[in-house]
Amino acid sequence: MRPPPRRRRRTAAVVAAALLALLGSACAPLSTAATEVGPVRMADDRPVADGGTLTVALKSDPDKLDPSLGSTLVGRSVFASMCEKLYDTDAHNRIRPQLAAGMPEVSRGGRLVTIPVRKGVRFSDGTRLDAEAVRTSLLRHRDLPASARASELEPVTGVEARGDTVRIHLKESYEPLLGALADRSGMVMSPRALREHGKNFAAHPSCVGPFRFVERVTGDRIVLERDPRYYDAKKVRLDRVVFRTIVDGNVRLANVRSGEAQLSDQTAPLEVQSALTEKGLRVFHSPTLGYQGITVNLANTRGVGEKPGDPKDVGGALAGDAKLREAFELSLDRDLINQIVFQGMYDTACGPVAPSSQLGTRTDCSGRDLDRARRLVREARSEGRVKGEVPVELTISTTAEHLRLGQVVQAMAGEAGFDVTLRPTEFATLLEHADRGDFQAAALGWSGRLDPAGNVDAFVGSGGSENRSAFSDPRIDRLVSEGSSTSDPAERKGIYRRLTAAAGEERPIIYLYRERNYVVASEDVAGLRVYGDGLIRLDRAGYVRGGEE
Amino acid sequence: MTRYLLRRLGQSGVTLVLVSIVVFVGVRAMPGDTARALAGEETTPEALAAIRAEYGLDDNIAVQYARYVQHALTGDLGTSARTGLPVLDAILDALPVTLELALFSLLFAVVLGIGAGVVAAVRRGKPAEWAASTVALLGLSVPNFWLGIVLILGFAIALPLFPASGFVPFGTDPAENLRRMVLPAVVLGTGLAAVVMRQTRAAMLESLSADYVRTARAKGLSPWQVTGGHALRNSLITVVTVLGLQLGQLISGAVVTEQIFVLPGFGKLMIDAVFTRDYAMVQGVVLFTATAYILVNLTVDLLYSLIDPRIRLGGAR
Repeated sequence: MRPPPRRRRRTAAVVAAALLALLGSACAPLSTAATEVGPVRMADDRPVADGGTLTVALKSDPDKLDPSLGSTLVGRSVFASMCEKLYDTDAHNRIRPQLAAGMPEVSRGGRLVTIPVRKGVRFSDGTRLDAEAVRTSLLRHRDLPASARASELEPVTGVEARGDTVRIHLKESYEPLLGALADRSGMVMSPRALREHGKNFAAHPSCVGPFRFVERVTGDRIVLERDPRYYDAKKVRLDRVVFRTIVDGNVRLANVRSGEAQLSDQTAPLEVQSALTEKGLRVFHSPTLGYQGITVNLANTRGVGEKPGDPKDVGGALAGDAKLREAFELSLDRDLINQIVFQGMYDTACGPVAPSSQLGTRTDCSGRDLDRARRLVREARSEGRVKGEVPVELTISTTAEHLRLGQVVQAMAGEAGFDVTLRPTEFATLLEHADRGDFQAAALGWSGRLDPAGNVDAFVGSGGSENRSAFSDPRIDRLVSEGSSTSDPAERKGIYRRLTAAAGEERPIIYLYRERNYVVASEDVAGLRVYGDGLIRLDRAGYVRGGEE
Repeated sequence: MTRYLLRRLGQSGVTLVLVSIVVFVGVRAMPGDTARALAGEETTPEALAAIRAEYGLDDNIAVQYARYVQHALTGDLGTSARTGLPVLDAILDALPVTLELALFSLLFAVVLGIGAGVVAAVRRGKPAEWAASTVALLGLSVPNFWLGIVLILGFAIALPLFPASGFVPFGTDPAENLRRMVLPAVVLGTGLAAVVMRQTRAAMLESLSADYVRTARAKGLSPWQVTGGHALRNSLITVVTVLGLQLGQLISGAVVTEQIFVLPGFGKLMIDAVFTRDYAMVQGVVLFTATAYILVNLTVDLLYSLIDPRIRLGGAR
């Protein structure tokens, strides 16, 4: 028997409403209005209970678990729990001894650096940490073929183990060394593990750390367990840490909500927004040391690191015209880009050195000046440098954020007379194109280094390995050299300020914003620390002690 | 029989060689520099050169291929350039996950699809058919990714009955393994269930109007016996054919499902390898899959001849 027409209509309406609700729940962001993220929260000091397993959801699968070869941020996140360094950073990006027993002594005009090594420390395989082990690791970082540390240790001419100290000989005074030793170049590997496994160290990593390696299943998980031999083992609370790769941000967050994971690393603003208003979740965030911007190809026609070519061969109007590059930058509104693309959750940037860096300075970026941008474009037309709209091809990666960024830049620059064509390209291919010089402008970024030289030298120094603009300016090269060899912090700060201003006139890179590290954690996780280097420190983390939330 | 077997083995060998060449060349034709992808954000020309030398990327492609085949024949599919771990180990870790997921999805699709198809055919023109058809339409239209997220929100967060992600081997904890497979199997099997439902319904409608069904009814058999014993049995031939054809799609569809539910299967392994230009891993996964397909086809061909004597082997009389 068919139901009466009225009842059928009512049933249909209910079904339709339910379907719409279901569609809505899955398609719309969980929170629509942008919520203030609040002041920086980098640590959680609530008391922590003993034991338990903590699962960290990572954005991508870490690469080789070998400090000499590793080159990803997610890989660093894993190392942070199992491979300590000679030096570490604190919440203010200040360098502090970790496996070193004290700060280094610099002598012979900056060409000799002496580092005392901490005593009574053992690697996870039981081997004793000593100066010889530090020497072995430093030389491996420098000399291993394909080492990702080779460039930052290139000025090292020799390493000596003398008693409880390590003496590092340098070609010349090299200030960025300390920053490098507070990153993977400062990680010390067990000499026994290196001897036994050699190039396969990544499959059996053994370092000094609160946790030691247990197993890795490619694409799925890396399991660490508390290392009883760790010199500070009494302070370690967790039994195990599991790093799982969950590529999609929504899925990563869903796993934290369901309790499958307790931390979501590198969470994007859109997902953080939905987490901010949710009970049971806490958001940790810290400013990063890197930058994101638009790299303009000035003369890269032969490939990165090669001699600059003729700007005319690059194509487009920006390469050979500094005034048009200025107009392009002035047409962009960094604040608005941050608001529209990143829900206002990142920071604007107009230079390579982050204000949160010890040698950084807080500078107010010049705002959008559409009138001047239009005037510069009109002048270029009247002088016959361009005809009609100024063509710019902007290569962007295929992520949703970059696509949004490209569209906003396209609209803003369009108002000033630029005709921006977007060229979405898968990231590995984008990097290849950028290295080869097959681009006019590309949205590229850098995760950042503690020492400003790490954000500057290779990018704007002539022939630098990351200088995809093929930018070359003797003034800048001189400042780059001074920046690396000057030891007085105040003086160095001034050098990088001058360098930023000088590079800003030529605009090989138009700096736009700095990302923030966002880590979403389950409410019951405490003792966590998230600093400016973007790493999650779990050595004191664990579950909140009962009743003390 | 022996001649036929040898001929089929020879054909399979040639196919395998061709597949390996296509994969080898195809992987290298992908845009993006492998050395660059492996070196990460901080690199130097020297480091790139060292990576190329280490993985033999500068050698002639024929030399690279010969080296690869030489190692593959001894069971060495190489080392992942990304993780530094053996490719074969990664494949053997991932294989059971995808196979189990495909098996459970197939079970789900068969049970739901055939059940709904039979109901839709038997209750033709009634609300039951309308409901079954609507569900089938939804099953075909809804993307796996969307359905996965909705199910996680519904059954892992709002009503925490199942875990949101992850895999536990059956040998470690059978109950937990099954619990973790429910949502992924539903997501992957839904599309197939819809196809099976539509095929079953169509085949059943045809069978129910056939003479032998009328005869069965006239003999006084119960509706259950008529439907299950006669109509459904004959309809299953079509359904089984469709299932066979859809099996390949089920395995390729597993890529998305594995990403949503973070299952360390073949699809996830493949996607990660492609994005990081991990040649050895991509080659290993594709070669392994191709070998499996070739072996299955060979087995099926041989079984045909055993099951149905009318199928002659190699022109034997």
